This record gives sequence, structure tokens and C-alpha cells, in this order.
Amino acid sequence: MTTSANERVAHAPDSGTPVFEARDVKVYFGGVKAVDGVSLKLMPGLIYGIIGPNGSGKSTLIGAMTRLTKLTSGELLFDGEPYHNASASSIARKRVARTFQTVRLLPDLDVRDNIRLGADGRQDERPNLLSRILGIGGSPATDDAIDKAQLHGFESFYPSELSYGTQRRVEIARAISTNPRLLLLDEPTAGMNQTERAEISQLMKSLKNDGLCQLLVEHDVQMMIDTCDHVFAMNFGKLIAEGRPEDVVRDPQVQEAYLGRKWREHA
Amino acid sequence: MSWYDTNLVLIQATITGLLLALSIQIPLRMGVFSFAGVGAYGFGCYAGAVLVLDHQMAALPTILVTTLAGGLIVLVLGLFINRLNGLTLAMATVAFDLIIGVVAVNGGETTGGATGRYGVISDFTMGHMWTILVVVMVLVALSERGKLGRRIDAVRDDPELASSVGIRVYNYRLAAFFVSGLLGAAAGAMNILVRSAITPLDIGFHLIVLALTMIIVGGSLSWKGAVIGAVVFTWLPDVLQVIGEWQELVYGVIVAVAAVLMPRGIYGLYVEAKRAVLRRRRTRRGAVRAAVAAERARTTDDDEALAEMEDDLGSPSVTPGGSMGANL
Amino acid sequence: MQDLLSVVTLGSIYLLFALGMSLTWGTIDILNFSHGSIFMFSVFTGYLILDLTTLPFLPVLLIGVAVGALMSLLVQVLAFEQILKRATNKKTAEMQILIGGIGVAIIPLAIAQHHTKSNPFGLRESSFELHTWVVGDLRITNIAAITVVTAAILWVAMALWLRRSRQGLALRAIGVDTEVASLMGVHRRRLALATMAVSGALAGLAGMLFTFSLGAITPESGDTLLVKAFACIILGGIGSMRGVLFGSYFLAACEVWVLTQTSGSWVEAVSFGLIFLVLLIRPTGVFGRKEVRRT
Ligand SMILES: Nc1ncnc2c1ncn2[C@@H]1O[C@H](COP(=O)(O)OP(=O)(O)O)[C@@H](O)[C@H]1O
Ligand SMILES: [Mg+2]
Repeated sequence: MTTSANERVAHAPDSGTPVFEARDVKVYFGGVKAVDGVSLKLMPGLIYGIIGPNGSGKSTLIGAMTRLTKLTSGELLFDGEPYHNASASSIARKRVARTFQTVRLLPDLDVRDNIRLGADGRQDERPNLLSRILGIGGSPATDDAIDKAQLHGFESFYPSELSYGTQRRVEIARAISTNPRLLLLDEPTAGMNQTERAEISQLMKSLKNDGLCQLLVEHDVQMMIDTCDHVFAMNFGKLIAEGRPEDVVRDPQVQEAYLGRKWREHA
Repeated sequence: MSWYDTNLVLIQATITGLLLALSIQIPLRMGVFSFAGVGAYGFGCYAGAVLVLDHQMAALPTILVTTLAGGLIVLVLGLFINRLNGLTLAMATVAFDLIIGVVAVNGGETTGGATGRYGVISDFTMGHMWTILVVVMVLVALSERGKLGRRIDAVRDDPELASSVGIRVYNYRLAAFFVSGLLGAAAGAMNILVRSAITPLDIGFHLIVLALTMIIVGGSLSWKGAVIGAVVFTWLPDVLQVIGEWQELVYGVIVAVAAVLMPRGIYGLYVEAKRAVLRRRRTRRGAVRAAVAAERARTTDDDEALAEMEDDLGSPSVTPGGSMGANL
Repeated sequence: MQDLLSVVTLGSIYLLFALGMSLTWGTIDILNFSHGSIFMFSVFTGYLILDLTTLPFLPVLLIGVAVGALMSLLVQVLAFEQILKRATNKKTAEMQILIGGIGVAIIPLAIAQHHTKSNPFGLRESSFELHTWVVGDLRITNIAAITVVTAAILWVAMALWLRRSRQGLALRAIGVDTEVASLMGVHRRRLALATMAVSGALAGLAGMLFTFSLGAITPESGDTLLVKAFACIILGGIGSMRGVLFGSYFLAACEVWVLTQTSGSWVEAVSFGLIFLVLLIRPTGVFGRKEVRRT
């Protein structure tokens, strides 16, 4: 399951133009500095990870990257173009897709339609006028996403009829069906067991082979190490370490961030 | 006389009532809690009367002009109040509706003051009415299907999610205002053309209540619900004559019970029943059985996953005793 | 001067009515659209009872208070609690409560309309007698004086209660953050019921005083007041005690001013226009607190 170290070196970050770049991004909620000066670059075809204790600003960072959360200051660039004043939907149409930390499926649409919501936005998925008006006709992108997320058989289920893990896979499928160039996954495996996690990891790697850049928020260290090429560690809204996953989890500052928290909780 | 002819007045009232109900249902379906359609209806009544009486316009041009003007007025309203949230938006539109009523009372010659306008006779026919209705219903029905239907669902249930898949939520909200203005004004214009008279009393708060009850009892998420509601509440008073003098009370009880116990209305009950049948039927299909079985097999170690989830929630699993320790 | 007196009297009636609505909206997040119906039905009940016997002033007020509180409790238990029990999220719950309130309000309205044939009704059979004192060139009625004093006392009492008492604190805590409130060991349900009862009692009281000073109301009077009360609350800022006070008298002042300046019936448009103006210029109202994050 592990990618060899050599492969990763070949993909070393810092060569070529990044898909995404954040420059000194800050998001404050009143006095709370949720994200406090984060700068990072994401290169195509790599899987990045973010670790950090709860409340360290990971979700807020993803919110800022997708323009759903208002930036206090800083710059965001996609393909070298600044977009920190653009709307959330316009950056989504540039094919930045995401999942949310909590499951957000539409209760009145079945699995297939929930996923197709993502495919609907694709430029290459414009059926002819008649079938569009009548709402008939297939959607290859949706089929493909159902395939990748292994959701066959569940197409006509409604979200409330699915187990938690399956709901999360539908979310991921919806994000994939947009044919993203940058995929942001906010704790996609929360509540999944080891088997399911391995499947998600596998899925991410197959997407990586298609050249997709991915950013994964994850607490499970084994999954991080198995999946990611490069990991950022956050605490109190700041990046405190980055590098190969094995190195980052051994970083004393990172351990301190988690342990210190644990300590305080026990105190 | 045939049934159709004897009940023509009720049939006409059903059609205008249906369009009025749709003028509130469409924004509601897009998550915009606006009653501005009722104000557009009042505007439509008066504008129709003025165009026919003072400008000798024919029926169809009158309806066209009135409808477009109503749409634009509500769109402009929408531009101003779009940023308000749920309840305050609703109340702002209620205020808009009531202001239309006050303007009607104080409009002098144009609106006829407290007595309103009457004698609005034109070349409007039932053929016109049915044609307009069919066109509108087809368009509304199409908006519930396919891509547009899905996107409207998303905009209503989760605007943030909607914009994260590239939907321009703001435009949808403005469209909701525009369409509700169009529908309300069209309903009003047709109402004045068949009813021939209008007074300020006809467009008060009770009209908001009526339109709202139609879609709450009928069902707020589909045009079929609006049809059910329009039919029920146009014909119910007639049927309830049997019950006699307490008909208003029965009407009130029906509305209250529906509002509290079945917020998705009669049509919502049907949808739920349909889903239940579907669920039962599909458990017999092989592919589904296989998928469910596979899922169950995969999640047999559920306890472990659950324990881990709790762990995740309480604190990250990267703890000395947790998986991090194991990896060091 | 006489106009100023009218402003104060009218404003006091608005205040009594709006106070109850503001209380539930600002604390337990319920915008009760049957408040107008409760207001009307309390008077209607008084009217029915006075048909049977003659009662002095105070017992009539008490009837209003009791009927209002009782109806409000019924609405809470039979409608709002049921809606909240079934609701999936806050946004739809808010909306359903508004709609449910409108729906429930139809029932008392229908009963009253049926009985009175939509004609005005009053409390003439009470042994209460209207006096008018003349001070200089001012004419003050005893009922106006009572209304103003009652409104003032109740407003102060309510403000103190909300600020000082344990329940008041708890209520405000619910208004700001449900979670914190439950940590404080607040019995949410009991407190919500109490709040609704107080709110209904205020509606009943306002109804009686309103009818005594105006002579009669119609079954539909409640609806108009509802929108006006909404204007008062929005004007001052949702959940602010100073806000309703300001909003009520400000609205009354504007209305009286328009009444003296214009002919016709533009006065009805004042409240609607003010709602607009405030929502456009300052949606949080004059004394409104910033939107509090509730997650
Ligand atoms: N909408 C918001 N308003 C105010 N504070 C917020 C908001 N969203 C997040 N926060 C705060 O920002 C901090 C970072 O939260 P978050 O990004 O969710 O952390 P993580 O995803 O790493 O657990 C937390 O202290 C949280 O309470
Ligand atoms: Mg998070």
C-alpha cells in the first residue's frame, strides 16, 4: 500500500507552477484567529495532508480556499491567478471541489441526483437541449463517479437510508463528478472503519494517477502516511511543520501540539 | 347548462388562485421566504384595470405588460432586500404587500380610492385563460426536473453547498423574486379581467394567508401541491356549506393541523408513500441486495469504527496510546 | 401638546402589544403570528362574559390576562412544540413556526367572525366609566392614563426581571446560546412555556386596555397590530428592551404626525414603510445587538 520514497522525491514540491497558492492567509472571527498567516503551495498530481488538533483552523482554511469563508487578509491564487475577491461559485467553476466535515447531502434527492449535482456544472457534460429540458438522458460523469466511489446498487437510495460511511462516499463522489483540478477533503473518513478508510485511500491514489491535486484533512496517522506525499501540520491557525508525512508526525512541535492538548484535558 | 358553465366562476377562481399560490411557492422552493407575489397580484389587478379602462388596451397586451411590470417591480424589490435573512425577509415582503394596499386606497382617480375600479370588460376569453395556464404550468413543471430541478433543491436546502458546486446562488435568488412577480401580476391581471372589479379590501393580509394555506396544505415543493391547494381552498367553502355555519372554523382547523403536522402538505404525504413503496420493491432487486450485503460485510467491524469515531471526536487519535504511538 | 399625549397613549398600547411579541422572539426565537389573534380573542371572551354579567374594570383586565396566557400556552403546546419536535433544521423550523402561527390564528378569528358577523364589538357592559380630566387645554381620559402607567410599569418590571432574576438570565442565555443555557441547567421547556404565558397575558391585557380606550375592535384588528408590533420590534432591534420601547413610541409619533399632516389614510403605510426603511438602512435596528453566532 505504501508508495516508495523514490516516487515521492520525483514529485518533490516546488517545481513548476503550483495549482494553488496561499499567501499569508488570515481568517479572524472577531478575536478568534482561526487561520493566522498561512502560506502554502500545492503542486499538480500530489496528495497533500493537513493534520492538527481540533480547532486549529483546518476547516476554516479550506473554507477560505473555497471562498465560502471570508478572508481577513492574504492572497489566494489558482493556476497563478489571484481569486481572493471572486465568488465561491466562480472558484468552484474553475474546478475546485470540496467535501465538508459534516455530511451535506440534499435530503430530497436520491444518491444519483446528489452526485449528479456535481456533474451538472461540468463544461463537457452539456446534453442536448431537449434532454436537458426534460431532464432525461444519462450522465457519464455521474456513472464514473458512482463507479469510483463504489456506490453501485445505491443509486436510488435517499441519504437518510444510508449508513454514515456510505453517505460520506456519496459526498466524495459528488466532488469527483465535477472533474476537479483541486480536490479538498475535510475529514472524509471520520466515522469509517479501517476497511473503508483503505478504500478511500485507494480511491485518492487512483485519482492522483489521473493528475489530480488533493488536500486531505485527516486525524489518522497511518492513513496520512499511506496516502499523502506531503503533510502540513497546523496549530492555533499557524503552520507549525511541513514535509514528508513520516517526518512531520515525528516532529516534536507537532507531538507537542497534540500531547499538550491531551495534557491540558487531563489536568 | 353544463357543469363547466355553472361552475365557471369557481373554475376561474381556481386558476387565478393557483397562479397566486405558485407566486409564493416558487420563491419558497428556492429558499426565498417571500410573499412579494401577493403584492404583485394586487398591482396586477389595478394595473389591468387601469390599462383596460383608461387606455382601452386589449386583454392579451394588458396581461403581457402587467406581468412584465410586476416581474420587474418585484425584481427591484429583491435587489434591495435580498441580503435579509428568513423571517425579516418575509416580513419585509409582507410590508411591501400591505403598502400596495395603502397605495390603492390613496391612489385617487387612478385606483378609485376606497371604492376601487369596476366595469373592467375586455375581450378576454376562457381560451386565453386556459392557454396561459397551460404554458405557465409546463414551464413550472420543467423547473422541477433535471438539472434545474436539482439546482433549485440545492439552493434551497444548502446554499453554501450549492455555491461549492458552482451554482450562482445570488442569481437564483433574484430569479425567484422576478418569477414570483411575473406570476403574481399575471394572476392579478387575469383576476381583474374575469372579475371586472377590484377594491382595496380584496388585496389585504388575508390574501397572503390564503396563498400560503394553499401551498402549505397542498404541498410546498411541487406544482402538484399548489394545484391540490388551489382546488381544495377554492372549492372547500362551497363543499363546506354542507357543514353549514361553522365552515370557517373547519377551514381554520384544517389549515392549523396541516401547518403543524404535515409541513410538506398533502402532496408530501404522497411522495413519502411512494418512497416507502420504492424502498420495499427495491430490496427485492439483486444489485441492491448485493450492494447492501457488501456494505454490511464491510462494516462488520463497526464497533471498532465507532470507538474510533468517538476517539476522533473527543481528541485526535494521534495520542500517545493511539495510532500515533504505534507508528513511532 | 394634545398630539404629544396621543403619541404617548398610542405608543403605550403598541408597547404593551409588542412587548409580548418581542419577549418570545428575542428569547426563545418564536415569532408568534397568533399573537394578534390572542389579543383579539381575549377581548372577545370579555365581551361574551360581559354579556352575561356586569363586571368592574379590574376583573375584566384579569379575564384578558388569563385568557391571553391560557391561549398562548395552548398554542405553544399544541402547535409550536409539535413543530419544533419534528423540525430538521433551524431555518425550516423558523419558517414553520411563522406559518403554524398564521394557521392557528385562523381558528379564533373564525369563531369571533362567526359570532359577531365581523362587526365591531366592545366592552360596554363593564361598569367602568370613562372620565375626562381637563388640564389647561389638555384633555386626558382616565383610560389613557391607566394605559400609559401600566405600560411603563410593565416595561420596567420586565426589563428588571430579564436583567436581574435567575430566570431572566437563563432566558437571555437561551436567546444567545442554547448550549450555554442548557449547561446552566435551564429547563428549556418550562421556561419557554412561562415565556409564552407571560407574552399571551400581555396580549390579553393590551387587548382590554385598547378596547376600553377605543370603544370597540373588530375580529381583524389583531392582524393590523401584528404588523405594527413587528415594525416596533424591528425598529428598535430584535431582543432589545430599550428597542421595543423606542420603536413603539417612535412608530406612534410618526403615525400621529402623518395623521396631522396628510389627508387620506396614508397612516397605515407608516409602519410598513418604517419596516422597509429600517431593514434597508440598519437591519439590526437602532438598539440591536450584533447577530450572535449560534452553532
Ligand atoms: N463561523 C465561525 N465563527 C466564529 N468562530 C469560528 C467559526 N468557524 C470556526 N471558528 C473557530 O475557529 C477555530 C478553528 O476552527 P476550525 O477551522 O473548524 O478547526 P478544525 O477544522 O481544525 O477543527 C475554532 O476555534 C472555531 O471555534
Ligand atoms: Mg474541522
